[in-house]
Amino acid sequence: MNRRSLERPYGRLVPLTATLACLFLLLPVVFVVAFSFNDGAYFQWPPRGPTLRWYVNFFESERFMTATEHSLKVALIVTPACLVVGLPTAVAIARGRFAGRDLIATLLLSPLIVPGVVTGVALLALFTAVHGDLGLGRLLIGMFVFGLPFAVRTMVADLLGLDPRLEEAARNLGATRLRTFFLVTLPQLKSSMLAGAVFVFVEAIDNFSISVFLTDERSAVLPVVAYQYIRDFDDPTVAAMATLLIALSCALVFAIERLIGFERMMHINRK
Amino acid sequence: MDKENRHHLWLTVPALLSIGLLFSAYGLFGWTSFYRATPGGLGVGGDFTFDNYLRIFGSWRELAVIGETLWISFALTMISLVIAVPMALVIARSPSRLVRSILLFTLAVTFLSGGVTRAYAWMVLLGNKGLINLALVHLGVIERPIRLVFNWLGVSISLVHFLLPFTVFTLVGAVKNLPLSVEEAARNLGATRMTTFFRVTLPLLSSGLVVAASLTYSLALSSFLFPLLLGGGRVRMVANHIYERLFVAYDIPFAAATSAVFLVLSFVVILGFAGLERLVRKVVVR
Repeated sequence: MNRRSLERPYGRLVPLTATLACLFLLLPVVFVVAFSFNDGAYFQWPPRGPTLRWYVNFFESERFMTATEHSLKVALIVTPACLVVGLPTAVAIARGRFAGRDLIATLLLSPLIVPGVVTGVALLALFTAVHGDLGLGRLLIGMFVFGLPFAVRTMVADLLGLDPRLEEAARNLGATRLRTFFLVTLPQLKSSMLAGAVFVFVEAIDNFSISVFLTDERSAVLPVVAYQYIRDFDDPTVAAMATLLIALSCALVFAIERLIGFERMMHINRK
Repeated sequence: MDKENRHHLWLTVPALLSIGLLFSAYGLFGWTSFYRATPGGLGVGGDFTFDNYLRIFGSWRELAVIGETLWISFALTMISLVIAVPMALVIARSPSRLVRSILLFTLAVTFLSGGVTRAYAWMVLLGNKGLINLALVHLGVIERPIRLVFNWLGVSISLVHFLLPFTVFTLVGAVKNLPLSVEEAARNLGATRMTTFFRVTLPLLSSGLVVAASLTYSLALSSFLFPLLLGGGRVRMVANHIYERLFVAYDIPFAAATSAVFLVLSFVVILGFAGLERLVRKVVVR
């Protein structure tokens, strides 16, 4: 075998499939952005020229604005809550030696494989049984309970991969356990905490299957209102909303790249 | 040191409360499956009964929804894997940082842009007068628009789009861990690229493939939003069925029984995948 083929890690079929797959993935994202500026309620070719009508529609709709406020509120409360509760839990699972540790880990991670609809209906049944009319509180509790395993899992994987010698060195040099944790361990967990936070944040804003059960007219959130709008009307207002969400996710991706680098975060997610 | 590690138990108390809440919800919900719905509202009452379960196992319609969900999820998992392997190979091995970044950014932006966004985009794209039909007619592939939405085809296209980032992200780590030297040895000994891929790369990757398949499968099983929007009531998966039992028929006990049957089946499938992974690792790694 010659040198050239050693340098090429794969044949032509692999990059061809990957390129097609990328186009497939980007198609709806690019399309919905373009569609949001189309001056017409239906899709047509050639597209009619740029308008901000649907954005005006979105921002002037009281339903969409209240839903945006609710969604942001849920995401901004649930994300830090999951991190604050998840971090000590992850430390206990990764480092602790106590009876039932494995059982706790299994129980904690099991909701990850329960379909969202089942979790949603089950929580609805519980809230109905205890007459818990908590308004937005239902969704706050639901999203917290649902998001916690994500946060814990990424942090446990990261903790298990740390080099224990760094912490031993700090301890040998006289740092207390608490000081070692905050000055040596915690900074190393930066990328998994960020990954966990992004996951919980996106889930809190975008989750449909749980939100649809735990919200009502007064506590409606973005995905549910968007679904109802798609069902009842036929114009690109939802495309405007989608474009704003895509812009937000682009901003998140760039922030991650600047903060820790995407490839590094992927490396962490290996487990 | 050991004593301090034992104190770690206290750190889990808030998480245990959260888990306790969730499991009492599951428990209560499961318990209602043994009762009957009271007419009007979301009430439950009557005597302890297995009626709801008998109704599921005695009705072909109920079993068909579950069977269809299991089958279509399997097919979608396989399709996602076939597309995901080349993508993971490029992300893990491409010598160009730019190429790797483009793929990662594409996956990340798609992944983060949300379910409703993507389901809506596919609805408009795949519609009778949508871009896809328009392009196919223009290119002469078809004579007049074909139905791409409100059937399994539309639901499947949008679901593969939803599942693919998850599959690729779980595969990348496994591909990165492959020892390149073994493949190079195979090539040096005269194996073609195809032979090397199928007889060296894939077997080495099999454990990672099973893990990725298991995650993709459990996500596919629980799909709800995509069949709801792109199925238009004609195509239903179990999650949609449960939702209808609840919000159309107001029958909590029957919805609970369906959820319980479905949950047990998903657990069996996931345990099956875990067993398969252990088996594969034993056979391949030896």
